[in-house]
Amino acid sequence: MTRIVITGNSAICGAGQDPASIVDVLLEGRAMFTPIAAWDADTWRGKLAAQVQDYNGGKLLGDRKLLKLVRRSDVFGIYAGTQAIEQAGLSAWREALDEKAQADYADQTGCYVGSGGGAFEVNYDFFPLMAETDGSLPKFGQELSSMVNPMWLLRSLPNNVLCHVSIRNQLKGPNGCITNHTTSGLLSIIESAWALREGDADRSVAIGHDAPIEPQTLNYLDCVGLVSNDLLRPYDKRHDGCLLGEGAASLVLETEASALERGATILGEYLGGGDASEGEGIFDVREDGDGLSRAIEYALSDAGLKPADVGMIVAHANGTQGSDNSEAAALLRVFGDDMPPVTGFKWSIGHLFAASGAIDVSIGLEACRRNVVPGIATLGELAPACAGLNVSQQNRPARSDVLLVLCRGFAGTNAAVLLRAARPN
Amino acid sequence: MTAKRRVAITGIGLVTPAGLDVASTWARIKAAKGCAGPITIFDASGFSTRIAAEVKGFDDLPPIDDRKLLKYASRAHRFAIAAADQAIADAGVRPTQQDASRWGCVVGAGMMTVAHEEIAAIQKAAAPQGELEPSAILTEPVANDVMAFSRSLSTAGVSLLLRRFGIRGYASTVHTACASGGQAIGTALRLIRRGVADRVLTGGFDSMISPVGLAGFCLLSAVSPDNDSPERASRPFDLTRNGFVLGEGAGFLVLEEWNSAVQRGATIYAELAGDGNSLSSYRITDSHPSGDGPIQAMRRAIVDAGATEADIAYLNAHGTSTPMNDRSECAAVHAVFGARAMEVGVSSTKSVTGHLIAAAGAVEAGLCALAIRDGLMPPSANLRELDPDCDVNIVRDVPRPAHIGMALSNSLGFGGSNSCLAFRHPEETAALIAAGR
Repeated sequence: MTRIVITGNSAICGAGQDPASIVDVLLEGRAMFTPIAAWDADTWRGKLAAQVQDYNGGKLLGDRKLLKLVRRSDVFGIYAGTQAIEQAGLSAWREALDEKAQADYADQTGCYVGSGGGAFEVNYDFFPLMAETDGSLPKFGQELSSMVNPMWLLRSLPNNVLCHVSIRNQLKGPNGCITNHTTSGLLSIIESAWALREGDADRSVAIGHDAPIEPQTLNYLDCVGLVSNDLLRPYDKRHDGCLLGEGAASLVLETEASALERGATILGEYLGGGDASEGEGIFDVREDGDGLSRAIEYALSDAGLKPADVGMIVAHANGTQGSDNSEAAALLRVFGDDMPPVTGFKWSIGHLFAASGAIDVSIGLEACRRNVVPGIATLGELAPACAGLNVSQQNRPARSDVLLVLCRGFAGTNAAVLLRAARPN
Repeated sequence: MTAKRRVAITGIGLVTPAGLDVASTWARIKAAKGCAGPITIFDASGFSTRIAAEVKGFDDLPPIDDRKLLKYASRAHRFAIAAADQAIADAGVRPTQQDASRWGCVVGAGMMTVAHEEIAAIQKAAAPQGELEPSAILTEPVANDVMAFSRSLSTAGVSLLLRRFGIRGYASTVHTACASGGQAIGTALRLIRRGVADRVLTGGFDSMISPVGLAGFCLLSAVSPDNDSPERASRPFDLTRNGFVLGEGAGFLVLEEWNSAVQRGATIYAELAGDGNSLSSYRITDSHPSGDGPIQAMRRAIVDAGATEADIAYLNAHGTSTPMNDRSECAAVHAVFGARAMEVGVSSTKSVTGHLIAAAGAVEAGLCALAIRDGLMPPSANLRELDPDCDVNIVRDVPRPAHIGMALSNSLGFGGSNSCLAFRHPEETAALIAAGR
């Protein structure tokens, strides 16, 4: 099978705007939650979130005009995609080709985006019109064009990042916009890899982005019982819920032949991926971790690896009891008492929803390249249901250069990806 | 490299403005009778466009025998469940405890997930002057209703289907605007080829016929304002076309690894033979007038199917009836088929059904399979004066009998994603297999 390498890696979240700085924050044991800035949430449960600091949309986009056409979540996605493409040197390489070769290059470069968020926020743009017309739909129709931005629909498209990153960088190959809630980011990487394996593309840009810190989403999550009041403590006996984050991450995946031809720096290798669902309902999670353990097994089988080959695991680790406990069950089922170091990043950067799998891959790859498994700083005493899980507060070395990243979502969806980190000499 | 696993279409389910099932939808499409009319779902009298192609008599559908499920099913979700039920029944196979993990589910879901009454309730309680006061939602019932939250999630649709049929393999939801349905089915095809799944329930569902949904298209002047002649408003390729007609509904297919379908004696409508994807990378709403973008998607689908341009008899065009789309798409037809361009029958069934947005590609995939089975190219309705820029061989007004060896279906989305699916007559597939290909 075609070897697939990683030549670009970028991330932005509450802990920094590139993977190296974010890993530094994790290694220092810093949780990045601060009071929510978008509104006064002082009386709310989960009033803390890991927010991108000193947010400046125009600067992140490098294009003030584009800011009118996209939303906050899109800004993160376009930023991450642009950074990864720059690091990989894709555009510079294309521009140096002759015209015919440029066209072929564009056609053989794909893009898959995991996109989320905005289900409620996009509708808020209609509130001034609704207030003005006071429940009258005929008036709503009549006043529409004088009160709502004519570009409203285009600003609201879930596939905006795919659209703008491709226009900006002339990506014209196979593509997708995955809106499968939390697993979207990881699926964008898995689908990118398949596009290369199947020969449909020689390179693909995978992006996950989201900005779920909005009032309605937060309150609903609280109603479902998923929000922590103060800290996100995965696997801890006091684990009581999740906290939100925001941001994006992007990887450039490339066939080894394409990367070698370009002389690109190889950051790692994609080894395999898997996805499985439990089919029990939207919030239901099986206690035995069935879906997650099968996703891991599918990924191992896809990569041709055994559990003993895995050097470190970046787990979903979202701090809710249902997810943590079943995740522990799944990991024990697959790895038994020969479990590599397990960690997770949400205790520091929050849950990035559609971006979470992508950013865990991005940060996990950077950490594995440095041969360090960041500790979970908020971990105290292990919850009884998580006994046997190989987690620690301390930063530890990885067992090998193979990284397993897990991601789980509403609707009982589970995804897993395996990578090999290229370690700088 | 080993040969690609072939994929059979063994089940179809349709809930469209043309009918609540496959038979009624197909009959109305063959009759070339447009479905658009004045909007009845809400009071659209103040909008610049007051017409749409609604799914009619939906409450007459058999009720869904799962109360827990219905609690978080929106209008579009109910279309999805009904169409998926039909497809599974039609295929005569469903997941069992033994093979549930070998079933996948990939859907194209619409972008509007919150019902207007819920948006209005939040506005009234928390944005009486137009600006949201976030803490005011804390006491608003809709903002505390977990079922409202469930319905709003982008994975609500896939979740309903996974649970209803007990599917436990690869599950995904995609949204590339009008290309969503096509890309979902293309992904499903690939899951079977990769060996990740043996059977996949796949399709699309959408309903944007709501105040905010219609508003988005009115603001862009993308929908036809022909309020006085709704049945003629969707007229792809016509010189006077002036926008699409918003539709709603769902289309679902059961896809199956070919040999297993043959072994169990399934009725095979067609082989889903190829999937082509591309990005226009031009503008958000349009592809290049030259057809660049759609051209690559069509070529990729043909190559992916192991075919050549000469094999294609019929194209179910994206054909939205907007000035730009139809022109660019017809340019793509000429670029792809060259001297053979006038030998390919082309029609847009959106002339009858309207534009089902995220469901369009899925419904049209089902129609291509039916066209192959019946040896009938479905007609394009409402074409009076052909736009010289749309000079392709259009199947006009009445179905055209023909042996359709291979068909293509285009779905071209806002945002620049282009999907093309390729279908092959099952007898031709059997002949290829017999010839060792």
